[in-house]
Amino acid sequence: MKILLMGHPNVGKSVFFNRLTGANVTESNYPGTTVDYTKGWMKIEGGDVEIVDVPGTFSLDPKDRAEEVAVAMLHENRDAKVISVIDASKIERGLYLAMEIIEEGYPMVIALNMRDVAEDKNIVIDADRLERILGIPVVSTVAIAGEGIKELVSRLKEAKPVNVDDIIANAANASDTTGAADAGGAA
Amino acid sequence: MKKKLSEMDYNEQGTVTGIEKDLRKRVAGMGIRVGKELRMVTKQPIKGPVDVVVDEAETSLGLDMAGKIVVEVTK
Amino acid sequence: MKLNTGERWDLIDRISKETVTFGAYRHTLKDAIGELTVKPMTGIPVAIAVMYGFWSVFGSFAGFFTDGFFVRLFDAYWLPWLQEVFPGQGEWLYAIMVDTGGIESGEFVLSSNCLESFGVLTSGLFVAIGVVLPAIIIFYLMLALLEDIGYMPRLAVLLDTVLHRVGLHGYAIVPTILSLGCNVPGVTATRILETKKQRFIMMTLLAIFIPCGAQIGIMQDVVPDLMGWILLYLIIGYFVFGYILNKIVPGKAPEFLIDVPPYRRPLLSNIGKKVGGRVRGFFVVAIPFVLLGCAIVGVLYQLGVIQFLGDTLAPVFVGWFGVPKETAGPLIAAFLRKDLAVAQLSAITMTPYQMITAVVLVSIYFPCVATFAMMLKEGWKELIGSLAVLAVVVFTYGGLIHLIGILLGVA
Repeated sequence: MKILLMGHPNVGKSVFFNRLTGANVTESNYPGTTVDYTKGWMKIEGGDVEIVDVPGTFSLDPKDRAEEVAVAMLHENRDAKVISVIDASKIERGLYLAMEIIEEGYPMVIALNMRDVAEDKNIVIDADRLERILGIPVVSTVAIAGEGIKELVSRLKEAKPVNVDDIIANAANASDTTGAADAGGAA
Repeated sequence: MKKKLSEMDYNEQGTVTGIEKDLRKRVAGMGIRVGKELRMVTKQPIKGPVDVVVDEAETSLGLDMAGKIVVEVTK
Repeated sequence: MKLNTGERWDLIDRISKETVTFGAYRHTLKDAIGELTVKPMTGIPVAIAVMYGFWSVFGSFAGFFTDGFFVRLFDAYWLPWLQEVFPGQGEWLYAIMVDTGGIESGEFVLSSNCLESFGVLTSGLFVAIGVVLPAIIIFYLMLALLEDIGYMPRLAVLLDTVLHRVGLHGYAIVPTILSLGCNVPGVTATRILETKKQRFIMMTLLAIFIPCGAQIGIMQDVVPDLMGWILLYLIIGYFVFGYILNKIVPGKAPEFLIDVPPYRRPLLSNIGKKVGGRVRGFFVVAIPFVLLGCAIVGVLYQLGVIQFLGDTLAPVFVGWFGVPKETAGPLIAAFLRKDLAVAQLSAITMTPYQMITAVVLVSIYFPCVATFAMMLKEGWKELIGSLAVLAVVVFTYGGLIHLIGILLGVA
């Protein structure tokens, strides 16, 4: 099994990567470019799993070399699972990339990283609710302090492809159940 | 009052009402979209970039780009 | 099913409304410092202070280890010991590996220090370990600190105005500063620029005008008084030729659009990892080339090639650039390692202004072979373009510096 770590630049992907993998890490050049990426190995339930730290990208619609490589790496690994690392203090734009990847049918878990930064800014995220709407595991993490990493790893097996229609339906249901106060805000 | 982002003053706040089409996708990646609240933090002199805060996240963008974003200034 | 951009954002807005609450805005100390360091009135003085601090820590740390420790170790123990035990004094292998020595009143005499001996095991090792290692470690340590605190994006914002004039934008400060450590990762970092035009301009300017940490380290050691002038010429060149390139290179120079993240406390283990990785990466490239460079120049001296080139090119060197013809040797070595070339220049007798000119020439002339290989990876067309620019720059700028010297009456 292969796992791709994907997310925007500067969301703590590399710290995540260092936390997940051991000493056995190799840095390589993506063929034909000077864009480098790192890959390593980790043990999950006795099996070796390859983890790739994909260069940061804002979307699957690349605007520079590094982003081209990121998209190419995703498309070359059709059978990979994706850990989508999102800066919790910038969740909306992180979700944009995550949605693009979900729409292409990749099984995913979401790491809402830098929870401490979000808390600093008074941003509160209901991770359970987000998980119910998206239908995939969502784990709050502070990678730099090692918080939430274990939970994330243990939930990797729950990653599965989801249908966008289901997400749309879940989002609509969620707003029905929150009652009149929220509905007023939504109008 | 509607203003271009490039013409906003320090600490003015407002809601984004329009973004030129060719720019929309790029700035959306930084959280700047129609309907978002925005605060102008600072501008660099001699046609330098403009710094804004959207959803508590700070972004710096070139002056020409800022000229393509229209903001309804509220305070 | 796939959504289009608008539909996707609509869905995200709906999800976000259900799951995210933005609390009341609190102005924290961190925010206040963040704003102060990005607003021009306060930010620019802070940036100057940070750069000055960077520079003085770099200088004193590198100087402390090089002059206080390695110079003594190499000149007082290592060199005399090798001169003693290495067999075949005066022969070619001895000259290449240990000491070329000199002839004084018809007699062979040994060199007294590791900058003059020119041997692979003496000058080569001394430059690599005694001078470059401390310089590179302190450079990458401070850079990692600035990066991990989150200062770099703010510096990029402050410098965007000037960098935009040369076809780049604020983010170009990242490859530029990285190149001050080593041009190889600097070239790699040009990938963060969006267009071909920007990458070409950046790569060309890096290869020509940005001296690497190894070179700065050795300059600090052998020509500390002339550093200011040398760097001034390089900075002026960076902007003047950048401005010209921006005018003549076709393509787009898109504007700047970056995140300015909040400041954060740097994590020691992360900095350690980063510095370790970079220093290791640097040394894998540097050590073999320093030693190889030393060997090749040594062999070329022994074969008389350097003297021949010096004589042949004398009109250009003496007439056009105004430097002694002996600088031909270091200029050849400069293709392999610029630090080595500067060390060799320091052993040639010349006036201070000639030294300034010669060191600037070493910097702007040809990228070192590792950088060259890296640029080739980016594309041979761009490489040829860069080299064409380089040839023009070396001749015009080198001549111009000579002319300025003549006008100032110091050449």
